[in-house]
Amino acid sequence: MDKIFKLNKREQLVVQLIMLAWVVVVLVPFGAAVLNSLKPNVGQVFREPFGLPDPVTWSNFAKAWVNANFAQYFLNSAIISVSSVILVTFCASTTAFVLARMPFRGSTLIFLLFLVGVIIPIRLALAPLFDIVRGLGLLDTLLGVILVQSASMMPVAVFILVSFMKNISTELEEAAKMDGALPFTIYARIIFPLMRPAIATIALLTFVQAWNEYFLPLIFLQSESHYPLTLGLQRFNQQFAIQWHMMFAGILIMMGPTIIAFMLASKQFIAGLTQGGVKE
Amino acid sequence: MTPQADSDALATMTPTESRRWLSYTALEKIQRTLLLTPGVLLYGIFNFIPLMALFSLSLVKWPGIGPKEFVGLDNFAKVLTQEYYRDQMLNALVQNVIFFIVIIGSFLIIGTGLALLLSFKTWGRKTYQILFFLPYPMAGAAVAYLLDLFVHPRGPLNAFLMQTGLVDNAIPFLGDPDTALITMAMFYTWHRMGFAIMLILSGILAVRTDLLEASMLDGANRWQSIRNVVLPVLGPAFVLITVIVLVDVFNNADYVLLIMGPEAGPLRSTDIMGTFLFRTAFGGNADTTDTNFGLAAAIGLLTALMILPAAIFLALKNLRSS
Repeated sequence: MDKIFKLNKREQLVVQLIMLAWVVVVLVPFGAAVLNSLKPNVGQVFREPFGLPDPVTWSNFAKAWVNANFAQYFLNSAIISVSSVILVTFCASTTAFVLARMPFRGSTLIFLLFLVGVIIPIRLALAPLFDIVRGLGLLDTLLGVILVQSASMMPVAVFILVSFMKNISTELEEAAKMDGALPFTIYARIIFPLMRPAIATIALLTFVQAWNEYFLPLIFLQSESHYPLTLGLQRFNQQFAIQWHMMFAGILIMMGPTIIAFMLASKQFIAGLTQGGVKE
Repeated sequence: MTPQADSDALATMTPTESRRWLSYTALEKIQRTLLLTPGVLLYGIFNFIPLMALFSLSLVKWPGIGPKEFVGLDNFAKVLTQEYYRDQMLNALVQNVIFFIVIIGSFLIIGTGLALLLSFKTWGRKTYQILFFLPYPMAGAAVAYLLDLFVHPRGPLNAFLMQTGLVDNAIPFLGDPDTALITMAMFYTWHRMGFAIMLILSGILAVRTDLLEASMLDGANRWQSIRNVVLPVLGPAFVLITVIVLVDVFNNADYVLLIMGPEAGPLRSTDIMGTFLFRTAFGGNADTTDTNFGLAAAIGLLTALMILPAAIFLALKNLRSS
């Protein structure tokens, strides 16, 4: 075994060089963003893109935050993401609970209808979706975007939770039923606590996806006061395209929360994303 | 869960009420329905019904407002035969395929290479894993603008290339119709490579050690073991990545929309199915009046049909592993 996976000194050196090469590919754009977001003017960015900022200028971030309305965009993104997380974790967990644990006539059909959502991306149905959202009077409201984004996460979330729940033993539940516990109680007291790891994964995925979503807000929001950061950054780009030091600061503000979420939960994040992946 | 925790959970349960207005079974049914309702409504109204409505909407001519005019299969005929739309569709489709091939090619080649190296006893491989994965959770919007600035003719990459004398003149990566699409594909690759590496790596690590040991006992050297034992087992991981990327690039056009706008410049050289669909529904330039929701629904339906085999495979894979 060792002969396969152990590397001698020379091999180790070669492998390290290749690894570092990809690290450079990954990190250099980030590095350029950090360096250049701290420069006082765009001239310095053009002259010396990899030079140290002189003087170090933090005000680009402040300017983006205050003058370019990033505070508002940030708040909107937070409202959309947090609401989506709450909505998806609640709706997907109750749905998955009934589908996995309380089958009835028609529950398989409902499960299959959710399967349709996993198969066909909702973006392809943007015309009918637009029609429905407008018909409900939800066009250009945060509520509309929250509902649409949550619904787009639902099928995958339901699948992950159903498959997770099938691996939980039913003993506790049966004991509770013998005591006369009703579904509400079983869900709240037994199933929800047991599902916590899977729910944490779904919450994280939903948060990152909702925070990063560009296309759905683009279609359903018109007023700038409702823009999330993704649309705000696009707006910012139209205004400050040439002010690169400002652009880099705006991009970093946008990236902040997801970088933090990733750092806090990188293990769970990777596990969640590769879920349903290769299992042989 | 320990037996102690079990009994604790049961102890906190509401005791059976001696008298109920309704029988246990009736109450159970009501509560079950109530638990199911929010999820089904949310998904149904904002995901399932629109998907189903693709069929009916694809049969009408409708600028998105006012009365709908039933035109039968006219929209499909338009996209497939009328020169103006057919050429756009073919252009978008071909470019979408090129876009896909460049991405999946780099994923499989670079991703497999890096995943293999990570599977060895490499120093600092945990750190490498996290660093390689770093771009994945970033927003497409942030990645698009970051890399757009990075490869700009006056941007850091060109400055570096010129300072080191590798090129004499700045390369207009996104400004040239010949390179724009490939550059977009590279953006995607940069963003998602961590995911490909992780998936392939988990496939490699899943190779049973006894298989490897058997190959060692048979006298295979490292490369022979990798080629004959590890790579064949990676089939499922390769198929999975290919399918995920295929479904994604045929419905998601975020990078192009963000950087090039719905006209997918320069000269529509970055037009893919997603931008074509968007442009048909909502118009391209600000002065476009030619919007047609019916036609957009037809294009959406055709795209769905194109990716359906791959998508069904993905869904089955998800189901089976559950």
